[in-house]
Amino acid sequence: MPTSSRGASGWCLLVFSLILILLGLILMAGGLWLASLGGSWYYLIAGLGLMVSGGLMARDSLTGAWLYFVVLVGTVIWALWEVGLSPWELLPRVFGYIVLGIVVAVLLPTLKRRQAMSGGKAS
Amino acid sequence: MRKNIQAPLLMAGLTLTLALPGLAQETEPTAPSEESSAQESQAPPASESASTATSSQQDATDPQPSDAPAPGDWAAWGRESHATRHSPLDQITADNIENLEVAWSYRTGDMPEGDHAESKYAPETTPIKVDDSLYLCSAMNIMISLDARTGEEQWRYDPQVDAGAIPYSASCRGVTYHEIPNAGDEQQCAARIIEGTLDGRLIAVDADTGELCQDFGDGGMVDLWEGIGEKVPGWYSVTAPPTIVQGIIVTGAQVKDGQAEDAPSGVIRGYDAQTGELAWAWDMGRPDLDGAPPEGETYTRGTPNMWTTAASDEELGYVYLPMGNSSVDYFGGNRSEEENEYSTSLVAIDVNSGEPVWHFQTVHYDVWDYDLGSQPSLVDFPQEDGSTVPALILASKQGDIYVLDRRTGESLFPVEEVEAPRGGVEPDNLSETQPSSSYHTLAFPDLEEKDMWGMTPIDQLWCRIQFRRAEYQGMYTPPTSERRFIQYPGYNGGNDWGSVAVDTERGVLIANYNNIPNYNRLLTREEAEERNLQPIYAGGDGSDSEEDGPAEGAGDPQVGAPYAIDVNAGWRAPITGMPCTAPPYGGIRAIDLASGETLWDKPLGEARKNGPFGIPTYLPLTIGTPNNGGPLITGSGLIFIAAATDDLFRAINIENGEVVWKDTLPAGGQANPMTYEVDGRQYVVIAPGGHHFMETPIGDHVIAYALPEDE
Repeated sequence: MPTSSRGASGWCLLVFSLILILLGLILMAGGLWLASLGGSWYYLIAGLGLMVSGGLMARDSLTGAWLYFVVLVGTVIWALWEVGLSPWELLPRVFGYIVLGIVVAVLLPTLKRRQAMSGGKAS
Repeated sequence: MRKNIQAPLLMAGLTLTLALPGLAQETEPTAPSEESSAQESQAPPASESASTATSSQQDATDPQPSDAPAPGDWAAWGRESHATRHSPLDQITADNIENLEVAWSYRTGDMPEGDHAESKYAPETTPIKVDDSLYLCSAMNIMISLDARTGEEQWRYDPQVDAGAIPYSASCRGVTYHEIPNAGDEQQCAARIIEGTLDGRLIAVDADTGELCQDFGDGGMVDLWEGIGEKVPGWYSVTAPPTIVQGIIVTGAQVKDGQAEDAPSGVIRGYDAQTGELAWAWDMGRPDLDGAPPEGETYTRGTPNMWTTAASDEELGYVYLPMGNSSVDYFGGNRSEEENEYSTSLVAIDVNSGEPVWHFQTVHYDVWDYDLGSQPSLVDFPQEDGSTVPALILASKQGDIYVLDRRTGESLFPVEEVEAPRGGVEPDNLSETQPSSSYHTLAFPDLEEKDMWGMTPIDQLWCRIQFRRAEYQGMYTPPTSERRFIQYPGYNGGNDWGSVAVDTERGVLIANYNNIPNYNRLLTREEAEERNLQPIYAGGDGSDSEEDGPAEGAGDPQVGAPYAIDVNAGWRAPITGMPCTAPPYGGIRAIDLASGETLWDKPLGEARKNGPFGIPTYLPLTIGTPNNGGPLITGSGLIFIAAATDDLFRAINIENGEVVWKDTLPAGGQANPMTYEVDGRQYVVIAPGGHHFMETPIGDHVIAYALPEDE
């Protein structure tokens, strides 16, 4: 963890990062179970992406944010592949990611600032 | 006999939930028996026990209103004995419907008292209209007549049914109108209203006064418990209007599902409409028995019953019985040969003999509670050469729609026997094939993992895992005990008791349907004991209210079978209460009558009353909710239907499926609407009573809509 002092935005970033890690762990655990039952590998991969993304962001790495957007774009592509343009079916697949993506975007300036402050040692 | 379910959902960043509530086919056509064909033109019932039937001889020149309703009447539950749910009235049109207003409204006053009743009300009532009066019943069987012009109460008769008699639901779908042939106008009960009650009585009252018909049974009543066995309130209940054919009242009863092998009989009985005397009994387990069983004996216990409404052909003298399943729904190992023969079949009975003429099974060895809930519709079915065939349209919970020659039971379209999955707890007993109608099916393709749903990726993932863990081989997946099995469609259909409507002039069939799976598991006897699943006769209400949310139908003890059953109706996820499968959960479809091809297909029901955690979202988005209740079609090409869990009553243009009008009801619209005309004004009536299992508000309303009088 960076040692520089945290303002309110810094704490928001940390909390959000921990939430991403938690969501990632849940999806990874469930996704592993699903894959072991012969189901989709998507959730395992997306969960891994979220966990790593959250971990990097917790360490003030901008790379974590970019990784989040990679997961988001990948999810949209996967969702369209799986259910096409069916709005009700896209809803559970992409809506939550978009909401989280907005938060990531809002946190970007904080993240940039903190990455610069920490001299990039976390990345 | 379950009819409903509920489920939930979400959208666009908002989340919502919906309530999801909850056929067969080998024909064994037998040529119409000699006696039946010989008696087409002569009406009197010939059975010996109906010797008093001389009094109910039909006057051939004076048909019953239900057989030839006046254009402005709705003379039987399905409008007429043929049950088309199609009225010629055309005053209200797509062009003027925006002016539709409430002409009158009425409240029966029959609302649940106490928690027990509260959780079980589902009136499902449709009034009938003959001449200038409406006749209906309330959830607890209060018989009521209203002035068709004003909705004012003319009389009521309260049979004082005890709340303990409520079976699965306090439902009374309707009453039946009958005129005694050649009776003088001043004769008491010359026209009478017949009702079957939750506590197992047939009641006849004067249509003009509501007074009991003293010439009928014991002071106006017949006890249906006779010959059934030990009286356990709520186990044997009539919820559907009886059908009257050639002066014979025909009724079955709802036998509460899944209680025990040793359950009340599914016997079908015919009674003289004037005297109430037993004319015949059809007990499939005792074909030699024509009437009541000898003293001390009962009709064959546990046999398939008929809880829904029959249709009839007065000319042929046939009544068409949509039969249900044996009392134990999800295990068949103890069933008799006769049960397997007639279970979940449409059975045509000659009312003069009380004998089956033909029958058509829509699922073989039914271990899915796919009983026939839909009332058949009788139509002259168009042929390519311009002629017509007297036919019967039968919709099933699996979604198959069959068209049968109603004289013989032969299908007018090929019925294929398709290979069925094997396995489960009784692999050797299951049928190797199941019927499939080439005419039409309302069913969607088999479920896949990607059809799982939720509000977020996490609950969707949870549902996908549950999907993978469950036994699922498509429709007719064999019931399993070591793990869950998916039943799709669930026991609410497909098409259920709301039935279909048929417009032979336009050549269009209208069917609403559910699209919801159930997530079930057979429980070992030890598990049933741990859950304290008690049958109704042992003091329990027969269901397990602990698991899966829904208060009813979550578990049934099936005493006498090696397994009890746990049903997650609508397959809802825990915590959120959201359905595990994607919408639409219900829809409405127009089908070309002659060919069976789909003309249009739309989701039915908005998301406004549903949402996660049971919180309404108020989203006016059509998502397609579970639905319970049927449509009607008017001469002007409007379909009226409520049914969905959005508490809306709507009119749909039959040409394109577009909703052209809607109104918000004060309670759930889980009832069939009707329409009538009096003094040149057309009314459309719905009795929104709500439904406990659909989780819609309970009500006691009857609401009539019409155009403003000056139009």
